[in-house]
Amino acid sequence: MKWNTTDADMYLKASEYVDTAIIPLIPLNWKKDFKGTVARGEFISLITDEIEKQFKGRVYTIPPFTYLEEESDEVRAERLKQWDDHLFKNGFAHVIYLTSDGDWKRVEEHLPDTLLWIPALPLENVEPSYAKDMVSQQIRQILPMITDKWQSGPKERES
Amino acid sequence: MSEKEHKVSRRQFLTYTLTGVGGFMAAGMLMPMARFALDPALEAGAESDFVRVASLDELTEEPQRFDFVVEQEDGWYSSEVTRVAWIYLANNEVVALSPVCTHLGCTVNWEGSESYPENFFCPCHGGRFERDGTNIQGTPPTRPLDVYEVQVEGDDVYLGGTVQR
Repeated sequence: MKWNTTDADMYLKASEYVDTAIIPLIPLNWKKDFKGTVARGEFISLITDEIEKQFKGRVYTIPPFTYLEEESDEVRAERLKQWDDHLFKNGFAHVIYLTSDGDWKRVEEHLPDTLLWIPALPLENVEPSYAKDMVSQQIRQILPMITDKWQSGPKERES
Repeated sequence: MSEKEHKVSRRQFLTYTLTGVGGFMAAGMLMPMARFALDPALEAGAESDFVRVASLDELTEEPQRFDFVVEQEDGWYSSEVTRVAWIYLANNEVVALSPVCTHLGCTVNWEGSESYPENFFCPCHGGRFERDGTNIQGTPPTRPLDVYEVQVEGDDVYLGGTVQR
């Protein structure tokens, strides 16, 4: 489900079926590699939309978690933990963090749930129809990770 | 001469003109309202555009996935949307099923689970459908998969809008 009122109504009617939240992690950086940062953010939004389309009835896509790249690892991990905690306590047994920013790999162990790091593809120089193919290939590899996660049950949170 | 034959008093003349003008203005106001009220009803029945999706000799008895692009208009904003259809032949007739699970809208796959061959399987909540799209009792969906309107011209298969069953 998407972050709009139509889907919110659908959620209210069927909330017991929706147990997975996807948070796109999108960085901001104007000093260094500005365009690369934009490309990574764009790519993750694209992937998020595509996953939402496949798993509409069980997955809620949350507004992006945004941060400055200069924000320290500890601080942003701590903030993300608060988001996770809030969602987990409100019925989302699975929380997936989706990012193209490799920095998150450094704090992966400290995050309460699953980080999916997907390196951005340079789609802007590619013909649109071919770009679509590339994205759907990627999606086909990501979907099983999510269904496997469902199979294995929610991760325990320490509290 | 003619003035004597049709005598229209000042009062009558004013009544006629005022009724005429008033009626015209009322119609001017009511017409758009009626149109706004009726427009969505008219649109739903409007014929949707057919798009070429596959050629006939690609199709088999086994449902296959075809992706195609349709132009979607949202008010005055039009965008391209990718749609998916599961198409197969049943007694030499083309059947095209929508992949949208009738439970909560996830995308179903033909033989999407190894445990359930010969079924459409929804990965979200284990909803299942028969080959012809009928929902299987005991799984969450409550109605069959929607079907696309199909037109076959020569060797080309065209799909239109989806129809609920």
